[in-house]
Amino acid sequence: MSPDPKAFPQAARDALKDPLLRPALGRLKTHFGAGRAAAVQRYGDFESLREAGKAIRDHAVTHLDDLLVTFEASVNARGGTVHWARDASEARRAILTILQDAGAGTVTKGKSMVTEEIALNPFLEANGIVPVETDLGEYIIQLRKEPPSHIIAPAFHLSKEQVAQTFLAAHTGLDPKRSLEERNALVQEARAILRAQFETADAGITGANFLSAADGAAVIVTNEGNGDLTRLLPKTHIVVTGIEKVVRDMTDVAVLLRLLPRSATGQPISTYVSVMAGPRGTAETDGPENFHIVLVDNGRSSLIGTEAQDVLRCIRCSACINHCPIYGAVGGHAYGATYMGPIGAALNPGVMGVAEAAHHANASTFCGRCAEVCPVMIPLPKIMRHWRAVEYSSGLAPKAITRGLGLWAFAAKRPALYRFGTRVAARLLRLMASSGMVRALPVKNGWFAVRDFPAPHGKTFQQQWKARR
Amino acid sequence: MSARDAILESIRVRRLARAPMPGIYRAPRSDGDLAEVFAKKMSAQHADVRMLDSMAEVPAAIADILRGRNMAATVHVPPGSELETLALPNVEVRRGPPGPFDAAVTRAPFAIAETGTLVYPSGKGAPASWHFRPVLEIAILRAGDVVAELEDVLAKLGPLPSTLNLVSGPSRTGDIEQTMELGAHGPKALAVLVVRH
Ligand code: SF4
Repeated sequence: MSPDPKAFPQAARDALKDPLLRPALGRLKTHFGAGRAAAVQRYGDFESLREAGKAIRDHAVTHLDDLLVTFEASVNARGGTVHWARDASEARRAILTILQDAGAGTVTKGKSMVTEEIALNPFLEANGIVPVETDLGEYIIQLRKEPPSHIIAPAFHLSKEQVAQTFLAAHTGLDPKRSLEERNALVQEARAILRAQFETADAGITGANFLSAADGAAVIVTNEGNGDLTRLLPKTHIVVTGIEKVVRDMTDVAVLLRLLPRSATGQPISTYVSVMAGPRGTAETDGPENFHIVLVDNGRSSLIGTEAQDVLRCIRCSACINHCPIYGAVGGHAYGATYMGPIGAALNPGVMGVAEAAHHANASTFCGRCAEVCPVMIPLPKIMRHWRAVEYSSGLAPKAITRGLGLWAFAAKRPALYRFGTRVAARLLRLMASSGMVRALPVKNGWFAVRDFPAPHGKTFQQQWKARR
Repeated sequence: MSARDAILESIRVRRLARAPMPGIYRAPRSDGDLAEVFAKKMSAQHADVRMLDSMAEVPAAIADILRGRNMAATVHVPPGSELETLALPNVEVRRGPPGPFDAAVTRAPFAIAETGTLVYPSGKGAPASWHFRPVLEIAILRAGDVVAELEDVLAKLGPLPSTLNLVSGPSRTGDIEQTMELGAHGPKALAVLVVRH
């Protein structure tokens, strides 16, 4: 596993050979895919809901400045504070300052991909603050010092035996002979250990699935309830999220809430949806005394007005990942980035740079399933194609590909040459085939190492077309 | 330039066309009595839903739920809530926050039929953390407080409280092998007493 997006081809090859990954990836279809399909079916007119979600997110993305200004005023009016961060380092510093001002030594964390994106945990540790992940999946991978392999199921790649080994190694104060064979035993052990952390943490950090501009509220969805204990028990609550999460009001959120859990896990609603607006009120006996929101840009605004703008509509449901044949073969770690699968392929080249993440945009069969299931109708393959074009035009594409395309273009612009070439090629391929399949070509080519190519068995398309007319 | 102004500027200089105002979305509605629809949807989310005729039946139901789960006859009731006047013979009532193995009784002022969801605005006598601390939450809901959808709650609520919790069943996780287990951080069990009158 490598945190380097440029190492994707090798990491993908290694992942294909990893036998532990197969059972996990098999669950994409049986759990996520089937769950979403059934939920969509039960809803009835899901297409109108997608249209409505798309319209809300499009409106938000094209009114982002106004909505953010409104959001800030609403947060202030409720006694909270908004912090703005252009990039990861500004975000980390803003969070550290809040924590230091609060005198925080330990901070519990709800699930947040943005804090992964800005590499918050190592930074806090280096500054003497202990971050404790409390989402069960995040907790497991924090103990294993691994990055998430999926945006909503961070420990997706692990078996329950691997989790048991992790807990036996980490929870040294407990009876080493205890039984951790049942999943529920693992869940209860984590619950007990993390409850003690919630009770003593000085601050809590959560992400946000949505922000309501009119209310100055952050909305999170969880099934575990860890996000709520993270907000409600410590003195200080910090929400860290991307600038694109803001919509007009809770009525917009209500529509998006119908799309998110169905697309993610196939649930009609997540067990907990929590709307968090400011610190506790004067009559309240619990809730945080201080409320901060850190709004992170980190390349997002640079996508506005480009061919990749639509990717900002994303509500991070993971449906595109769950239905992607590439992710389904190599898993999440191979990408070497916070966002993997189709959403990673559309987003990463934009925010990390094409030179850094071009492999992600190339890791697609263009089967189009991602765009079919995306609840906010993001044309993911189109955006990937855009990044491929940028890679090509900025001279970053590998020589073998640019030369091959150049050769093809030369022939394609000369019809006689093209007709002759395809005729010869078809005949040659037939000669080289055995029982209808070409199994190798006399050129240095890894393509045939893992696949065969069906030999052309008739005339070329152009010959057939001519004959038919 | 401050980070704030730089981000806003970056958005403004790049923006091309603005998308139109979204229309109002109307979700499909289930037919039938809202309380019945709520009960069906909530039950499907692993909650123990019981329909009661009147508040007089609540004490017996609470005792029965505790017995059924082999729990001590003790419940936590939030101080300052309207439940403080609820007489619970043979059940010890505590006022402090519930611990991870305790039972809490709460009053849900709204519920949503569409998704089988309890709605809890935080406030005086309604501490938000109580929906997450106990191992068993027993929610008392009046049938007349069930509305069709979240939009209806928002319209009734006015300005948001500091925390608004939507609860649809007991806590769960699918983080180990994508297989659901109950009781991850919040309650392992949720009972809802729907009082008709
Ligand atoms: S791109 Fe669409 S399908 Fe993928 S995570 Fe975002 S919203 Fe979900």
